[in-house]
Amino acid sequence: MKLRRFLIGIALFALYAPLLADAPGVYAIAGGTVHPVSGPAIENGVVIVRDGLIEAVGANVAVPADATVVDAKGKHVYPGLIDAQTSLGFPSATPPRRGRGAPATRPQSAATELPQTSPEFLAMHEVKLTDDDMDAKRATGVTTILTAPSFGIFNGQSVVLDLGGGTMEQRIVRGVAAQQISFNPRAAWTYPDSLMGVISYIRQSLLDGQHYAAAHAIYDKNPAGNQRPGESPSAVALGAVLRRDVPVVFIADSELMMRRAMAIAREFNLKTILSGARQAYRMPNDLKDVPVLVSVKWATAPAAKEDREEQPLRVIRDRVLSPTSPAALQKSGATYALVSGPGKTGDFIPGIRKAIDNGLSADDALRAVTLSPARILGVDRQLGSLDKGKIANVVVTDKPIFEKDAKVQRVYVDGREMKLPTEEDRARGRGTAAAGPLDGSWGLIVKASTGDVNINARFHVEDGKVIGTFSGDRGSGDIRNGTFDGTTLEFTIGVKATAEQEDWVFHGTLSGTTISGTVSTTLGTLPFSGSKSR
Amino acid sequence: MKRSFGKLAPLTLALRAGPSPRTRGEGAAKQRVRGALAAFLAFLATTAFADTVIRDATILTVSHGKIEHGSILIRGTKIAAVGPNDQVQVPAGATVIDAVGKFVMPGIVDTHSHTGVEGSVNEISLPNTGMVRIRDVLTNEDVDAYRELAGGTTCALVLHGSANPIGGQSQIVKWKWGHPVSEWPVADAPRTIKFALGENPKSSNFRPPPGTPLQYPQTRMGVEEVIRQAFTDAKDYAAKWADYDARKKRGEDPIPPRRDILMETMNDILAGKIDVHSHCYRADEIMMLLRLSDEQGFKIRELQHVLEGYKVAKEIAAHGVGGGTFIDWWGFKMEAYDAIPYNVALMDRAGVLTSVNSDSDELARRLNLDAAKAMKYGGLSEEEALKLCTLNGAKQLRLDHRIGSIDVGKDADVVIWNGHPFSTYSRVDTTFVDGEVVFDRQKDLQTRAAMAKEKADLLKKEADEEKKNKPAKKATDEEKSDE
Repeated sequence: MKLRRFLIGIALFALYAPLLADAPGVYAIAGGTVHPVSGPAIENGVVIVRDGLIEAVGANVAVPADATVVDAKGKHVYPGLIDAQTSLGFPSATPPRRGRGAPATRPQSAATELPQTSPEFLAMHEVKLTDDDMDAKRATGVTTILTAPSFGIFNGQSVVLDLGGGTMEQRIVRGVAAQQISFNPRAAWTYPDSLMGVISYIRQSLLDGQHYAAAHAIYDKNPAGNQRPGESPSAVALGAVLRRDVPVVFIADSELMMRRAMAIAREFNLKTILSGARQAYRMPNDLKDVPVLVSVKWATAPAAKEDREEQPLRVIRDRVLSPTSPAALQKSGATYALVSGPGKTGDFIPGIRKAIDNGLSADDALRAVTLSPARILGVDRQLGSLDKGKIANVVVTDKPIFEKDAKVQRVYVDGREMKLPTEEDRARGRGTAAAGPLDGSWGLIVKASTGDVNINARFHVEDGKVIGTFSGDRGSGDIRNGTFDGTTLEFTIGVKATAEQEDWVFHGTLSGTTISGTVSTTLGTLPFSGSKSR
Repeated sequence: MKRSFGKLAPLTLALRAGPSPRTRGEGAAKQRVRGALAAFLAFLATTAFADTVIRDATILTVSHGKIEHGSILIRGTKIAAVGPNDQVQVPAGATVIDAVGKFVMPGIVDTHSHTGVEGSVNEISLPNTGMVRIRDVLTNEDVDAYRELAGGTTCALVLHGSANPIGGQSQIVKWKWGHPVSEWPVADAPRTIKFALGENPKSSNFRPPPGTPLQYPQTRMGVEEVIRQAFTDAKDYAAKWADYDARKKRGEDPIPPRRDILMETMNDILAGKIDVHSHCYRADEIMMLLRLSDEQGFKIRELQHVLEGYKVAKEIAAHGVGGGTFIDWWGFKMEAYDAIPYNVALMDRAGVLTSVNSDSDELARRLNLDAAKAMKYGGLSEEEALKLCTLNGAKQLRLDHRIGSIDVGKDADVVIWNGHPFSTYSRVDTTFVDGEVVFDRQKDLQTRAAMAKEKADLLKKEADEEKKNKPAKKATDEEKSDE
């Protein structure tokens, strides 16, 4: 009996050992073409990884006795790629307002702090990365990301993370990388609901940040006889930006948006990074003094030939020329990196390939996703190249990484080898084999008295807890208070009912690929049913 | 070529001044190189300065009548000479445009435009959005700007919308097609702001979604109150700063008031630094605004639309306020029922500085014809009618020292028509802005073929690349499901 349990234990351990990856080991990745990025490629090179760091890199490096030797003969070894602009781990739309309904009266003046989106928002506290997210990213060779929400105007303070194991705190490379600002107007009738309003809102917020600092400096010196200036987390966060301690990433795709961002940066003397920059090809020489994160989510042409022909020349021209932006920036000597861009994750590697097809050399492209983003984010002392002492984020591919059918075969993050999704996993469009019956997308229909309410939900189960997002007829946001015990599912979503924001609490039972149950709403209990998509 | 003028000017001026004392004693070789360089630059300069003479046209000067067989000399960005052919010399090297049988008039000024704005023209969310600025969102990619040049319109007041009593700050621009958008605003033009009265700011035409609260104000009374309150608040704000400055002067170290970009705007209006252009229709609301401006001490520069202006034209004139209106748009909503096409002539005759303007990307291409209609409706003279779309608008924008007529020293914003601009059969041949050809009909016709070819080539390149990448894409990127 005891022996059997022991054997089962060993079998389980063997099965899960690669997933656990609890201790960083000692590896000698040997025999491959090593691309350190900081220097020329090394044929038949060796990379020694120890305790999460790179111990040695070179052609004639002795393999330590305690190292696990990884045969990289015929393969290519790279520093882990850095995707310096993503929204991984955040919902794509504005989350519902928590606990509060819509205001009964409209504000008569511009509020200085907006709900849900604020300079003090810390991505490192709120990011919810799923295994799927990380698996998919690592499968492309990316081991480090910057992430922040894409909704709102002040998207908050972005974080730089290694896509490794452990807790979120352990993954953080730089907790506050940048303050991120997007020119997103809010819904109509809520200030600011126009682009010009957004610009005014940003300017006023920065002025408020200046005022906060000035008022507190005077008050601290001499509180007697002065009104207490009051606290403002938003102004505190913007203070760091105004002091140039924290850079601002402006999300700006077009030439005009980039120029608008630069005008604000000039007015307030901000340390600025432009992100998006798909029209950089139109102004490469004007971007020499500002780091640029070029999003490789290139515009796609309409499928139908007739639709393409109907488009104006300037739209077509822009679509064809924007992938020349990286090459143009390279030529002008600008500091730039290639990134996915905010919002939905796109085709990162194919996007980079398109930049290469449009005049960027593969070497320059590699630098633009390793050392360059590390420098722009201020983490180049620990990331971005294969150099002694840096964090051991290493990627092994069967062919040069940007070649069309190149495959990522091994990924090390913080010196731990990470399991890559199998072909089977990928074919199913999911990250891990551990996906349960609830994991995935569901179409839910709530039978309300006024008719059917359609909601699309994406569930992911972790330790009996359900996380995910929803969108549909009644708005979108995060799944909250979700639990799943194998058959019974409970979760709450915040929906937009007539005038009010209200919570709908779902109780359902899973059977195969369908769910049914009830929803508690303020109008009473409604039946719902759902089925798994695809 | 003309665009290089700005860059070359300082260089050529320096060279013209002759060798500086510093160059004395330099080697002869160096001198020769300098000489050659100077000659080259001088050659460039002459091309950059190249004069243009429009020869033998009928010139509608607007300010001083019609000149048959007249010529205009354009030098740099300005009109250097205008008069009968024999009084305008053709300088050596000048480009001569033979304009026999053609008509030349000043560029049309549209004092109510929404062309060239990226995003919404309304910041709709608040009753007072005076902090927002059109100049932050100008775009030089709005093809309507080019089309307006093709209709002879060269200058416009780009306004915020009329969704709220106090809208955003507006911007006077020239349609400098092909130039960076930073060059579109007229540099020394007054700052402007949009006010709005009547149905639009009381949300009759902009309803919040059902189930959400209504927007204040909901009545004309409320509109008045929003504006009054805004100026009252502005004065409080100014008083706070005055108090701060006084304490500071006394040697104290007080906490400064919070800077508020809306309140700064309102105070700039009170200080006369920002001109008010107010959307209005009815006589009663017009009178309300005139009285409110007296009460609060701000100046209205131009009443926009002002369709019932004829009912209170004397009062408008007495306030020294202009009126920019439609010639024959009426009945399109409740507050436009009393509009009449004689409004223009009646206001003009009563001494109101009157213009016709567009409020439309489309109408902005043919304001000449709307001006012409004032000869039929009310019997204005040809020159009075021409002023409606040129000089009067320029005066309303306080730019008549630069634009609005063909006079020596004014900006070379001139339009060559193939017939009289008041004929529906006439077309624009060439439009100049600041001395530069920004629209030329022949050139436009020629470039169309090239543009069609470029488009076809680009589409082919794109299709070829897709074909090349497709099979491999399917095989390797199965994890991607973007499409």
